[in-house]
Amino acid sequence: MSRIHFYLRSRLEEVRKRVLYESYEAKKLPAWERVGITWLALFAFWVVVSGKFSPPHLATGAVVTFIVALITRDFLTDDIRQTGHLLSKALYIFLFLISQYLFIMAFRLLESNLRVVRNVILMDINPGIVKVKTDLHSNTGLTVLANSITLTPGTLTLDVDKKLGEAYLYVHWINVETLDQEKIGMKIKGELEEWLKKIFW
Amino acid sequence: MIEALFLLFGLFIMFFGTLGLLRFPDVYTRLHATAKCDTGGAISILTALAMASDFPLVVKLKFFVMALTIAMINPMVSHAIARAAYKSGIKPKATVDMYAWDNP
Repeated sequence: MSRIHFYLRSRLEEVRKRVLYESYEAKKLPAWERVGITWLALFAFWVVVSGKFSPPHLATGAVVTFIVALITRDFLTDDIRQTGHLLSKALYIFLFLISQYLFIMAFRLLESNLRVVRNVILMDINPGIVKVKTDLHSNTGLTVLANSITLTPGTLTLDVDKKLGEAYLYVHWINVETLDQEKIGMKIKGELEEWLKKIFW
Repeated sequence: MIEALFLLFGLFIMFFGTLGLLRFPDVYTRLHATAKCDTGGAISILTALAMASDFPLVVKLKFFVMALTIAMINPMVSHAIARAAYKSGIKPKATVDMYAWDNP
C-alpha cells in the first residue's frame, strides 16, 4: 500500500528528467553560429600550425577553414549549450573556460603521475570496476568527461553505456574505497562534471 | 635550469611508468601506469624542449599543440585497449566487477 507512493514519486522524477532532456534537444545552436565557432577553432589551429603571418597565408587559411567549417559544423559544436550572444559565448568558451579547464587538468595529471609512482613503489592496490552515473547527455561532453577521468588520479574509463536520457560510465578504479553510488560519483567525477556542465548539456 | 628540472621530472615519470608496466598484475592496472605516465612524461619533456630550444615563438607553440594532441589521444587509446581486452575475455583481478554484472 505504502510502496505505491514511492513508485509514483520515482516515476514522476523520470518523466521530469525526460522533459528536461527533450527541451535541451530542442534548443540547439543555429547553423551559422555553429559554423562560426567551428571556424574560429579551425583558424586558430591553422595559425599555430602554419606559423606564417603574411596576408596571403592568412587569407588562404580563412577561406580553407571556412569551407571545412561549412562541411563539418555538426561535429564539434552540436552539443554546446545555448546561452547568450555568439561572440561573447565564443570569447567566454575559448579564453576563459577552456584555459581554466586545461589548468585544472594539468595539476590533476601531475597528481595522478605522483600517485602512480607511489603505487608502483608500494604496490598498495585494490582494483575494481565500478559504475558511475553522469548528468551529462551529449556525445562530446561524455567523450571529454571520459578522457578527463582517465587522466585524473587512480581511475581509467572502460566503457560508456548510454540509455535513453541516462548515461553510465564503467570506471576501473585502482584503489576501491567505497561502493556507495553517491560517494563513488563524488570521488571520481568531483568538480570535473561541474566544469563540463557549463559548456555541454 | 628550469628546463633541466622539467627534463629530469619527465625522465623520472617515464622510468616509474615503465616499472609499473612490469610490476602490476594485469592489463587494466598496467594501462593505468602507461596512460598516465606516458602523458605526463611526454608533456614534461616537450615543455623542457620548448624552453631550451632557440626556435622562434611559433615553433615553440607547436610543441604545446603536440602536447595537447598527446593528452587528447592517449586516454582514447587506453580506453580502446581496455575495452578490447575486456571484450576478448580477459578477466580483471578485481575485488568488484560491476561491468560483468551488467553485461553477463
